[in-house]
Amino acid sequence: MSSVPLLAFEAIEKSFGAVRALRGVSFELRAGEVHALLGENGAGKSTLIKVATGAHAPDAGHLVIGGRRLARLDPASARVHGIACIYQQPALFPDLTVAENLALRLEPPQLARRVDRAGRRRRAAELLQRIGAALPPEAEVRNLSMPEQQLVEIASALGAGARIVIMDEPTASLTQREQVRLFQTVRTLREAGAGIIYISHRLDEIFELADRVTILRDGASVGTRVAGELSEAELIRLMVGREMNSLFPPPLGPVGDTVLELRAVGCRAAGVRDVSLTVRAGEVLGLAGLVGAGRTELAGVLFGLTPADAGEILLGGRSVTIDSPRTALAHGLAYVPEDRRRHGVVLELPVAQNITLAAHRTLFPGGWLRSGVERKLAGEFIARFAIRTAGPGAPVASLSGGNQQKVALARWLATAPRVLILDEPTQGVDVGAKGEIHRLIRELAARGLAVLLISSDLPEILGMSDRIGVMRGGTIADVLPGTAAAPEVMAAALGTAGKGAA
Amino acid sequence: MRRAGEFLRGALRRHEVLLLLVLVVEWGLFYHYGTTVNRRGVVVGFGTLDRQFDVLRHSCEIGLLALALTPVILTAGIDLSVGSLLGLCAVVFGQLWHDAGLPVGAAAGLTLVAGALGGAVNAGLVAGLRLPPLIVTLGTYSLFRGLAEALTRGAVTYTDFPAGFLFLGQERWLGLPTQAWVFLVAAAAIGVLVHRTVTGRAFRVLGFAPEGARYAGLAVGRTLAIAYVLAGTVAAAAALIYTARIGQAKADAGTGYELYAITAVVLGGTSIFGGRGSVPGTLLGVAAIAVLKNGLATIPAVIRLNAAEEMAGLLTGALLLLALALGALGQAGKVEG
Amino acid sequence: MRRHARELGVTAVLLAILATLALVAPAFYQTAPLRSLLAREAPTLVVACGMALVIIGRQIDISVGSQFSVCSVAAGLLAAAGWPTALAVAAAVAIGALWGAINGALVAGLGLPSIVVTLATMVTLRQGLNLARQGEFVNLPDQVQWLGLSQTAGQTLILLVAGAVLVGLAWALRSLAAGRHIYAVGSDAEAARLAGLRPRRVTFAVFLLLGALTGLAAAMNLIQSPQVQPLVGSGLELKVIAAVVIGGVAISGGRGQLWGVLAGLLLLAVISPALTHLRIEAYWEKAIQGAIILLAVVTEGLRRRAGGKGAG
Repeated sequence: MSSVPLLAFEAIEKSFGAVRALRGVSFELRAGEVHALLGENGAGKSTLIKVATGAHAPDAGHLVIGGRRLARLDPASARVHGIACIYQQPALFPDLTVAENLALRLEPPQLARRVDRAGRRRRAAELLQRIGAALPPEAEVRNLSMPEQQLVEIASALGAGARIVIMDEPTASLTQREQVRLFQTVRTLREAGAGIIYISHRLDEIFELADRVTILRDGASVGTRVAGELSEAELIRLMVGREMNSLFPPPLGPVGDTVLELRAVGCRAAGVRDVSLTVRAGEVLGLAGLVGAGRTELAGVLFGLTPADAGEILLGGRSVTIDSPRTALAHGLAYVPEDRRRHGVVLELPVAQNITLAAHRTLFPGGWLRSGVERKLAGEFIARFAIRTAGPGAPVASLSGGNQQKVALARWLATAPRVLILDEPTQGVDVGAKGEIHRLIRELAARGLAVLLISSDLPEILGMSDRIGVMRGGTIADVLPGTAAAPEVMAAALGTAGKGAA
Repeated sequence: MRRAGEFLRGALRRHEVLLLLVLVVEWGLFYHYGTTVNRRGVVVGFGTLDRQFDVLRHSCEIGLLALALTPVILTAGIDLSVGSLLGLCAVVFGQLWHDAGLPVGAAAGLTLVAGALGGAVNAGLVAGLRLPPLIVTLGTYSLFRGLAEALTRGAVTYTDFPAGFLFLGQERWLGLPTQAWVFLVAAAAIGVLVHRTVTGRAFRVLGFAPEGARYAGLAVGRTLAIAYVLAGTVAAAAALIYTARIGQAKADAGTGYELYAITAVVLGGTSIFGGRGSVPGTLLGVAAIAVLKNGLATIPAVIRLNAAEEMAGLLTGALLLLALALGALGQAGKVEG
Repeated sequence: MRRHARELGVTAVLLAILATLALVAPAFYQTAPLRSLLAREAPTLVVACGMALVIIGRQIDISVGSQFSVCSVAAGLLAAAGWPTALAVAAAVAIGALWGAINGALVAGLGLPSIVVTLATMVTLRQGLNLARQGEFVNLPDQVQWLGLSQTAGQTLILLVAGAVLVGLAWALRSLAAGRHIYAVGSDAEAARLAGLRPRRVTFAVFLLLGALTGLAAAMNLIQSPQVQPLVGSGLELKVIAAVVIGGVAISGGRGQLWGVLAGLLLLAVISPALTHLRIEAYWEKAIQGAIILLAVVTEGLRRRAGGKGAG
């Protein structure tokens, strides 16, 4: 082992408003290792890699690269230091070609330099070939799928001769074949002496690839272990940091009649096909699956964002057509979306206005705003959900993530829905608020709501669900009882139950 | 004591309050420097009621357009075509009355319908096809003005309107210039729409978070359409007032008004990115510009230079830049703090 | 080929009009009037090229009309005061660049929205000019017109300059790293920042360049007439933006070609003479221009929608 690490974080801290995303994280990456970074959603992984790429400046702490302590790092100098990052959401130029995207990353930013178009194309073709991607260099990036764009990112890191490569869930949306190629590329990089920070939720990948593992929890590092000396159970325990079931509140009431039924529902544009499912009153149906399995897409179909083009949706036994969020709302559906800041709340608007936003029709007959009604309703929800805010007039942006999420939830409960779809309701939410949200979900179910809970947080799915629907490849792969164990759900999500299915 | 200070600082951060201060200072300066006694011992200039009414009379058309644009800009849109639509509606009104021989009232009513139709063209393209409003209304900016020119063959001017119609633009009713009543009613109506109805709330939400509006089940298309159709209708009302004030209708009516109206709206604190802004702010913006323009025209030194209009324009532009820069610095401070 | 669908579409429409004129009104192709027409539009083309750069970089500048007037009047006054014409031209470029730099600094430095910044500088410049000049015309010395050359030679020179600007910028946009950076920043400024480019500098530079080109265009216009009227250039901003958009430059940044802009501008310019030659009343010109803009944006919108579905 070489003595000087390629990259070291020393007690890095970073806050966003009231949210402390990183609380003194230390971490070290050596040459020639694949170092997995693990943690639940919201543990601080994304923030940490953004610090490493210079996209975020830390509030405190230091970055040490090749033994030299850096005062500051920006994206340009990060590149000079040989840091390359493959983001989950590729940061490419949609209007430009693949070759050009690669060139903009790889060529020195001298403005007066002549562009060698043929050379760029050759170089791009060669890089793409090395990672086994069958992409034409002249394709426009906007016409590429997400995994294809990720391949461009990987080619770019490879081309940059990066010594420190960060991969943020690179396999989330790759096909089996692409994944095999990717692993080869990762190993090639490692043998060439690069250090790879590898972020993934798939434990099997971690054990296959990683040399060491660092686990983050709630913005702090809980330890670095050698991957070979670690069992899966131990790893999960470190990530979750608590006994799994003790934290989740038990069901409060009985399960009633079927409220929502899907019969072979599909939507080509959303990549959802042949979904059949029932959700009953008072039931929490967990929807598990890997990123990209089609869970959020299914929610989009149900809520009319991408209306279904096949199959039948029944609400309370009656067949309904849902072609927009407005009709979904009218039918008593509510959807708390995954991207809270963009879709779930309007950050600039006050808490009270956010809470009433979806219930205008019932709260304000005739279209006249009634501030008394609004304040009263908002006050009730603030008290009932224990929303910590300076007042109903404070903008939602001033709240912490968990409290923003409670506002999003309140908005939809104000519509008195029959079916509540929750998409990653506790992502980026601190532990305390998480528990409160779980308690609320139980309460709502007990009042007869049918709850569809989408979550990538496996303990959450296991702890909260009465039944578990597992999605894979845009459809329901299996429906398991709520008492199912983690490996069963994982196996169904990965499609390894029958072995060989991809 | 400290709470009073905090309150004051909070108030100062509000755009409307700052603008009101500017307006008061403007008014005081002009009252002091622009009011004189002429040789016959009569008070003339800024301090007279007549002059104040003049200010009001002359700010009605751009003021109406600014009111019309406030909801549009709140949705993070823009409408460059309102000035051209004013011209087209003036011509349409002239033709309906003069060529088609309709009674003035009917012609005026149909002109408002024509304005709404013009707005509906924008609405269809922006709300229906989701095209960028800047380019759509740049197109209708040319189209409406071009239609006005084509209808009049670039030459016809309609005049000799009946006194009953000219009353709207040149006389007083209940003590105020007649068109001021129209303006005040429009201001009140749009103020209520923006600040007291769910549609007004939807304008804002669209400006802040267009995707968020869809996820909240708001009627995105309908809300956008309301903003643009309303803008067209109000532009038609401005056309009627313009025609009544000038006493003639021709194709070049209202040329360049859209930019002054947008200036007034932005000066009034409405964010060009949408979401933030208020109708009282727009009224203050309109007033700040109108008082500046008319006030300068009462200062002897400026009269001698014959440069009131230009100086007013120059100061308006400078004021706008200042407001923007202060806003940007204030925003930066907020993010840091 | 699909990448250039818009440019090709505009060019096809232009060629169709030109072909119709060749059949119906061959008089349109008489050399002298055609050269005059082109020379009159040449300054607009120069500004349009600069505007295309700004819009590809996802900004907009509606103050170019006012800048054009200020540069024209300033250069005219200097020429009238006895400065050599070359120096007056250089002064016009320098003044344009200065205003471009001010716009650029406000937009890139303070992060203000370009449409509002340039609205403010537009009003300020226009009214400042009116205040200073009170609508007075500037009479130019004789040697300024056509630079003392014959009209034909002067017009040819103007066309050559415009052609050089077009070809030079088109080359730089296509083949220089700097040009590609404009596309990158316009396509996604945050991705550009992550790729180590400097989006703010690029934004500042395109405004600076547009200002300088506007100054050059003012000079090119100046030498075509014996006097400068101070309202010259009003409305130029919207005409130029229209040409750029018709020519296929996306208002959302990151896409567009200068040859498309050339086609777009020629399409707008040819309408009026075409109407005359086809004996349609010329009053329809503006309405037709508006209809063309709408048509361009609607087809782009529909195409994008169809394309989006295919990709998704």
